[in-house]
Amino acid sequence: MTLSPFDNQRDEELGRLLREQLTGPAPEAFLRRLRLAVAGAPVDPWEVLAGWARPRLIALAIAAGLLLWLGAWFEGARSVPDAGVMVASLPSHAVVSSQPPAVDEIMAALRERP
Amino acid sequence: MKPPAVRSRDTAYLLTAQRPQRPEPSLRTSDVEDAELAQAAVRGDPDAFGQLIDRHGLAARRAARAILRDEDEADDAVQEGMLAAWRAIARFEPARPFRPWLMRIVVNAALDALRRSRVRQAEPLGETIESAELGPDRRAEASLLRAKLDAGLATLPERQRIALVLFDAEGWAHADIAATLGVPEGTVRSYVFHARRAMRRSLGTLAEGMK
Repeated sequence: MTLSPFDNQRDEELGRLLREQLTGPAPEAFLRRLRLAVAGAPVDPWEVLAGWARPRLIALAIAAGLLLWLGAWFEGARSVPDAGVMVASLPSHAVVSSQPPAVDEIMAALRERP
Repeated sequence: MKPPAVRSRDTAYLLTAQRPQRPEPSLRTSDVEDAELAQAAVRGDPDAFGQLIDRHGLAARRAARAILRDEDEADDAVQEGMLAAWRAIARFEPARPFRPWLMRIVVNAALDALRRSRVRQAEPLGETIESAELGPDRRAEASLLRAKLDAGLATLPERQRIALVLFDAEGWAHADIAATLGVPEGTVRSYVFHARRAMRRSLGTLAEGMK
């Protein structure tokens, strides 16, 4: 028997004794019993679905997050105001009217801008 | 030169301080086959899981018997563990090794059974078929050896028992045992070292009893 905490080797003799001691009688019958028990206990289909779905849900969530980030990035890039253009906000009746707005309405809209 | 006296296999072990060293066998092929069978089992193939039972059922039985030291309870615990593994097979990650995953479930089932049966007095493990086929002298010797082995195992904490059985009896690598027990590899080495020392003490008294 080797007695070193740094020993990486099996102790063949002790292993053989332990196997003889612990294997127990009728090993084939025991394995058959286990196989029969498993065969009589089918896997819950929800468990299978959960196992199948988890990695795909994670991938889907990552893809959705990436798309949202890209969308937000493009939206932000597009909405950067052009410093050279000042857009006046006219009263709604002036926008929908077929007549051109009066000068004082345009001036009032320009004065309201910050 | 006078040939050495013939010694029984069991007492020869007790008189040898250092055993011939053999490199730990590679488990890579076995792991690959396990992974293929486990992937089939994940897809719901009970035959593949049956093959995994054939490959690991007896190792699981030995580990459970080392923990519980009761034949019937150990067999029940292994069956409970195998059923739990089969029901949870969809959650197994094929990229990871199957054997420690399975053994961890079985070991936990055995430890649960042990906690339930703490109040009961453990019975010593019974005779095996092999020992019943021996002659009277060898049977007595084997019976004494069994008793000492059982007594030695009984002195060990459960985790040391598991580490000793998986390392020396099953030939597992420290890494796989560490994954089974959820401890660092260094802790497994420590478990094996202390377990061997305790077993040596226990088995040493057997040599004295045979004089």
